[in-house]
Amino acid sequence: MRHLVPEFEKLKERYPAGFEASLVLPCLRRIQEDRGFVAEEDIVGLVDYLGVPRIQVEEVLSYYTMLRRKPIGRFHLQACRNIACSMRGAEGVVGYLRKRLGIGPGETTPDGRFTLSVVECLGSCGTAPVVMVNEAYHEDMSLEKLDRLVDELAAAGEGK
Amino acid sequence: MPRLTIDGREIEAPAGQTVMDAARAAGIFIPYFCWHPQLSVPGNCRICVVGVEDKGGEWIDIACNMPVSEGMVVHTNSEGVRQRRKDTLQFITLNHPVDCGICDKAGECTLQDYHYEYNGERSLSRDAKNHETKHHALSPRIVLDNERCIQCTRCVRFTREVSKSNGLGMQNRADHSLVRAVEDGSFANDPYSDNVIDLCPVGALLSPSFLHKARVWYLKPTASVCPGCARGCTVNLWHRRPEWRLRAPDMRAQNESIDRVTPLENPAVNGPWICNKGRDLAKLLGRARAEGAMLKGRAAELQGAIAMARSLIAAARKPVALVSSWGSNEELAAFRAAFGERLDARVKADHAPEPGEVVEDAILIRADKNPNTAGAKAIFGDAPPDIPKDADLVLVWGEGLDFNRIPAGAKIVYLNAWLQPENGHADVFIPISIQTERSGHYTNFAGVTSAFAKCFPKPAQAADAETLFASLALAPGGGP
Ligand code: SF4
Ligand code: SF4
Ligand code: FES
Ligand code: FES
Repeated sequence: MRHLVPEFEKLKERYPAGFEASLVLPCLRRIQEDRGFVAEEDIVGLVDYLGVPRIQVEEVLSYYTMLRRKPIGRFHLQACRNIACSMRGAEGVVGYLRKRLGIGPGETTPDGRFTLSVVECLGSCGTAPVVMVNEAYHEDMSLEKLDRLVDELAAAGEGK
Repeated sequence: MPRLTIDGREIEAPAGQTVMDAARAAGIFIPYFCWHPQLSVPGNCRICVVGVEDKGGEWIDIACNMPVSEGMVVHTNSEGVRQRRKDTLQFITLNHPVDCGICDKAGECTLQDYHYEYNGERSLSRDAKNHETKHHALSPRIVLDNERCIQCTRCVRFTREVSKSNGLGMQNRADHSLVRAVEDGSFANDPYSDNVIDLCPVGALLSPSFLHKARVWYLKPTASVCPGCARGCTVNLWHRRPEWRLRAPDMRAQNESIDRVTPLENPAVNGPWICNKGRDLAKLLGRARAEGAMLKGRAAELQGAIAMARSLIAAARKPVALVSSWGSNEELAAFRAAFGERLDARVKADHAPEPGEVVEDAILIRADKNPNTAGAKAIFGDAPPDIPKDADLVLVWGEGLDFNRIPAGAKIVYLNAWLQPENGHADVFIPISIQTERSGHYTNFAGVTSAFAKCFPKPAQAADAETLFASLALAPGGGP
């Protein structure tokens, strides 16, 4: 986390003095982007750097489900289960991913390659059902498209 | 100052005051969960809604965060307001277990009260309730029943704004929000943590020392003063009501024990708070008591011991007294009246800070761990509690003196309530009553005097200090 401090200093300029607590969220996001998750040492470092009580960092971490305190798989599959996606077969999508990957939502495959999450509306209802893989949207997902997607990811994973 | 009308009454309120405060100042009650006079206003519970007249209609908003304005016409109990409160209670109880039958807060729970007052209906929800753990330890002193929590955040704000430990927070969100202690464990070190138990408007925060011990309506509060330090916080000592006395022969301990301690609000001394030491008075005042009078360590009749002490005092050429900083103003005055200048009397500290105890802070806790040092010094002066080398009799009142400091050869008359090894080393030992067995006053470090009342009868073997001094001072053979 320490190596991000110069970036945090830039962020700080956008907030009036005394609003250090408001920096918790953008800093945590940046830390997660950097490490893949937020580690204990990041929390300790951030508390020290911002001078906010530790409980406020813990609250933000638990409030936003997108923030993680444990590492996850290389490919994070997030399947939307909200109304538009559900009407267009989201349940089948989640069911298929469960079967194909052999894991439930919130779990990671033993080889550390895939993590499956079920999430609320991804804001792409017009192209439901939607699955995100890391930062990328995969839209209008049918079971065939899903199959191909997982194949490609698995192959990409091999190559690594 | 703006003039407004609340429930038909014309009121003048300072600009900037909220409708909640203005109503309370006028004696008009508005219900609340999250609002508290000493905490910030989060406006999250919505039970305090009131109606404001507007163009023949009424708009509804929360009183705790609504500033008064000129000409405002407020209704705290209109049809619309009552309906809104009813709806709000439906939401608040959506996941509430309504397990009042096994809840320690039953009888003093505002959710119960408001339910009967404003709702009275069963839940309209057809969905299953969320379940959560019912015994989550926030610290060794506090358990949380997650299901009962209504997320008012009073406890969280207390740790941020009053005790400043930042020990509690709200984890997760929406209907799976949970109050949690900070992961570094520091909430366990908050010396004011137990105040959140009283602050919690429902039975979510509970004290393991009181858990399932008694229904509150079997208990009665007696106004008292915490003797834990020179702040002298006013407290309520809760003990069994005489009319609900347990009648089995071995129930004396239950009938005459302090079941819990709560703050007795007092703006001049402690506001609405006390520290955790005050919560543990049952332990401090429930220590083993001296079993009877003794002469040089041998059991004696109380009257015989008093007579012996009296003749020793009368015969002494240079008698010295160390008086108790736990004595009440009445006892201290009785001591002075009985002995006048006959005894060279100095005030001693009965208690010193214990290892691990917070010695002093900027909130309430004082370094002097005695309740009435100020009251005692007002009568006996500020001389240090030294014992002159040529003293031939030392009268020690109260615990805490190292007997090695008493010159060899000096006679010792010892008045103490507790079972302690020194008792047997005195020439005369007389057991005396304690704070809960008498009424009186203490004067705190700032000169504020507070009263405490009697809770229990004194044990038969103990003498009442206030009357004891007079009988100790009579010349031998003189008077009854
Ligand atoms: S535990 Fe009690 S005081 Fe704390 S948020 Fe819940 S209801 Fe409020
Ligand atoms: S601050 Fe002192 S007087 Fe007040 S409760 Fe604590 S120990 Fe007792
Ligand atoms: S419902 Fe799935 S993207 Fe909106
Ligand atoms: S008391 Fe006003 S919103 Fe809770």
